[in-house]
Amino acid sequence: MTCVCLCAVSFPSLAQTADSPAQTPATAPAGNSQAPSLGDLGFPTAQTKGSLLDQARLDRRSHMLKIHQKLGLITLAPLIATLIASNGATPGHTNASGVTTGGGSTSSRDLHAGLGIATAGLYLTTASFAIFAPKISGTKTRGPILVHKILACIHGPGMILTPILGAMAYNQINSGQKVHGIASAHGAVAAITAISYGAAMLSVSIKF
Amino acid sequence: MNKRTLLAIALLASPLAAADGQWALGQSTLTYHVSHPLHESEGVSHAARGKGVCQAGQCDFLIAAPVKSFDSGDSNRDLHMLQVTRGAEFPLISVRTRVPDIAVGAATVHADLEIQFVGQTVVYKQVEFQETVQGNTIKLTGTIPAKVADFKIVPPSLLAMPIKNEMPVRVDMTWQKQ
Repeated sequence: MTCVCLCAVSFPSLAQTADSPAQTPATAPAGNSQAPSLGDLGFPTAQTKGSLLDQARLDRRSHMLKIHQKLGLITLAPLIATLIASNGATPGHTNASGVTTGGGSTSSRDLHAGLGIATAGLYLTTASFAIFAPKISGTKTRGPILVHKILACIHGPGMILTPILGAMAYNQINSGQKVHGIASAHGAVAAITAISYGAAMLSVSIKF
Repeated sequence: MNKRTLLAIALLASPLAAADGQWALGQSTLTYHVSHPLHESEGVSHAARGKGVCQAGQCDFLIAAPVKSFDSGDSNRDLHMLQVTRGAEFPLISVRTRVPDIAVGAATVHADLEIQFVGQTVVYKQVEFQETVQGNTIKLTGTIPAKVADFKIVPPSLLAMPIKNEMPVRVDMTWQKQ
């Protein structure tokens, strides 16, 4: 899902440009006619003219990514809580005589499921702020953000798959079955998702 | 005015006349440095253009660089930098200075720099630069002690921690006499 983030189509480029009236004057300082002016430096007009629309696009992008960052941190709390609660959500072991021992209680599984749903919901909201942030044309993704986006391609699908597999496992346990089939991958998928999520956060926080 | 006075004026004026002329900025490297509790980063621009005009014992220099030409190696950081410095609205950072022509070519020069950036004009007094003369070129190095607050920039933050106020800009330029 978060691969969409990488491949997201840029917002339609703004056709008209509002020129900034406050751009640096290109004239020499007052009382000093010999001093060179910006016009003497030969910059292309496109590089010297300000654009309020482009600035507004940058402002909106930064605003959305700041929310993305905050929500990403907030999402970490229910994610950790879900991982901790997973200890009480394990299925019991059924011995040869058909008696089930150990395993978590139904209420513990409900708590784990509830926290998981909250995590997934917050995660999708977090991701949407990055996916729908305006793209700046002509920008090639480089540096730690590239690692962040690659990791998003792992935890993105993982964050969708984990609750689906969890729901399947939940239903199987509640109907007295042993967790089987693809649902048995719930724990492994969740672990990979959580690790890649943490690594994605670290990739843009700490300089390696 | 007799011939002797005219000769004296001509002799005195000739060094000034020789100092008159223009300078063009050749290669340049401008490097800003920002500090965050979690890491340090630098952005480099080689896209500055500049011109100097010397006349009547004074040299006026103008250097400008597109804000978006600074590359920190992280496209996301560069776009955030462009946003907080209002680089789309004010695309150029320009520096003006006036120095006596005798300072051009001296080992050290102290210059008052008038910097236009983020729609603000800030003057840094007596910024020290080292000069190395090589034929018709002068290599100039120094550091501008810029601060984030001087330009009313809202300091960018990561994980709720803002960058430090100090934002020194290292300057390394080669000027060519025209």
